[in-house]
Amino acid sequence: MVKSLIRGIVMYLYMVDASIRAQLQYRYAFVMNILGWAMTYAGTAVTMWVLLFSFGALDGWVFWELIFLFALAVLSWGVCMIFFFHFRSLDQYIVNGTFDRFLVRPVHPFFHFMAMKFDVGALGQFLFSIAAVGLAYSNLNLHWTWQWAVFLGAVIGGSLIQGGLLVAISAVAFWTTRSERLYWVIMWPLKNLMNYPLSIYPRLVQLLVVFILPFAFVNYLPALILLEKTGRIFAPFWGALSPLVGGIFFWLCFRFWLLGLDRYKSTGS
Amino acid sequence: MGTFKMYREFSRISFQRSAAYRFDVWTRIAGNIMFLFMWGFIWYALYLGKETVEGVSFPSMLGYIMISQALQGIHSAGTQLWEIQERVRTGDIAMEMLRPYDYTTRILFSDLGSIFFYILTAVLPLYTVLFLVLKPAVSLTFAQVGLFIISAVLGYLIRFCIEMTFGLFTFWLIETGGVEDVFYFSISLFSGSLVPLWFFPAWLEQVARYLPFQAIFFTPNSIFVGQLTGPGIFIALLNQAAWLLISFLILRLVWHRASAKIVIQGG
Repeated sequence: MVKSLIRGIVMYLYMVDASIRAQLQYRYAFVMNILGWAMTYAGTAVTMWVLLFSFGALDGWVFWELIFLFALAVLSWGVCMIFFFHFRSLDQYIVNGTFDRFLVRPVHPFFHFMAMKFDVGALGQFLFSIAAVGLAYSNLNLHWTWQWAVFLGAVIGGSLIQGGLLVAISAVAFWTTRSERLYWVIMWPLKNLMNYPLSIYPRLVQLLVVFILPFAFVNYLPALILLEKTGRIFAPFWGALSPLVGGIFFWLCFRFWLLGLDRYKSTGS
Repeated sequence: MGTFKMYREFSRISFQRSAAYRFDVWTRIAGNIMFLFMWGFIWYALYLGKETVEGVSFPSMLGYIMISQALQGIHSAGTQLWEIQERVRTGDIAMEMLRPYDYTTRILFSDLGSIFFYILTAVLPLYTVLFLVLKPAVSLTFAQVGLFIISAVLGYLIRFCIEMTFGLFTFWLIETGGVEDVFYFSISLFSGSLVPLWFFPAWLEQVARYLPFQAIFFTPNSIFVGQLTGPGIFIALLNQAAWLLISFLILRLVWHRASAKIVIQGG
C-alpha cells in the first residue's frame, strides 16, 4: 500500500516535471497566458468597481467585500485548474480515439489523465487572487487568527468542488462523446453567478448551489464567516464545512467518472 | 450585382449550416438567458430601496440589460476573435486568400447568414416573450424602433471591423494572448454592454465616450430605452457612422498590410 502510494507520487512528480517543461518551451506564450488570465480577472474587478460607483453597495456588500468574494473563488479555481482543467477537453481524446492509450498503461486511467497536465497558466489566477485578497484584507481591516484555517479550508474545498464538477462534466463524454458544451452551459454561468453574493438570487438558485451543485461552499458561505457578515438565511458555521462538502462532492463525481469509464467503448478509428 | 449575388450565397449557406447545427443554437441561447437573469438580479439588488439613480429607474435599466443581452447574443452568432486567430495561425486563411473573393466581406456575409438564423429561431421569439412577461420600461414608438435598428446594425458593423482587425494582428504576433484580453476587456466594459456609461465615474465616462466601443452597444441600447431622444439620436448615429468609417478604413489598411506579409506556419 505505502509502496504503491510512493510509486504513484514519484510518477506524478515525474509527469508534472515533463508537463511543466513542455509548457515552458514557448516562453512568450507562457508569459502572455499568465498575464492574460490575470488581466481578465482584473477587468472583472474593474467592472465591479464601476458597478458600485453609483450605487455604493450590492445587498450590503461594499466594493472590497465583493472583491474578496470574487478573489476567493478565483484562488480556488486556480488550484483546481492546475490539476483538473484539462478534463474539460477529455471529450477531444474520446472523439479522436486517443483516450485508449490511457487504458493500456499500468496506471489508473483517472490518475494518468490527471497527471498528464500540470497547468502552470494558473499562476495568472494566483497573481490576481493573492493580490486581490491581500488588498481586500488590508482595506477591510481584517485581523484573522483561527479564520486562516477557514480560509485554507475554503481554498481546498473550493478546488475540490470545482474540480469535481469538471470531472463529472467530462465523464458525460463517456456516454455521449461530447461534453465541452456542458461546461459552457453549466459551469461557466455557475462560476459567474457565484462572483456576486448569493443572497441577491431567488431561493431556488440558492438551494441549487447549496445542496445540489455546492458552489456556495466555494466562496459565499466561507466569506460570510471570514468577513463577519451575518447571512440572513445561513448560519455562519456553514462556511467552515467547505472541505467536508468538497471531499464528498468530489468523491461522488469521481464515482460517476468511474461509472462512465466502465461504459466507455472506444470510438475506434 | 453579380458579386453581391455571390456573397449572398455565402449567407444562404451559413444560414443552412446553422439550421443543421441547431443544438449549438440552443445551448448558446440557454447560456445567454442565464446571464440575462444573473444581471437582472444584480441590478434588482442594486436598485433595492432606490427609486432612481442618475435619473434612471429600475424598469428602464431592466429594458437596457435585456436589449443589451439580446444584442450580445446576436453578436455571439458571428465569427469570434479566436476563430480568426486560429485561421491565421493554422494557415487556413491562405487557402481563402487564393479564392476569387474578398476574405473579410466573405466572412461578413457568412456571419449575417448565421446571425439571421439565430435571430429568427432564438433571439426574437424568446426575447419577445421575455419583454411581454417582464414589462421593462422601453420607448417603443415606431420611429424609435426604426432608429434603434439602424443604430444596432451600425454597432454590429463597427464591432465586426474592430474584431476582424484585432484578429488580423495575429499575422504579426503569432502568439496573441495579450491582444485578445485587451479586446475582450474593452468590449465588455467600454461598450456599455454590462454597465451603461451614465453610471461610470465622470472621468471614465469621458474616456469611454472617445473610444469606438460605446458605439457598439451603448448607443443602440440608449435609443431603445429612450435615454437618448430628439436630436441627440442623430448626433449619436452620426458618431456611429464616423466610427464605422474609421474602423472600416483601419481594417482595410491592416488587411492590405497583412496580405502582403503572410507567414505560413507548417503546411
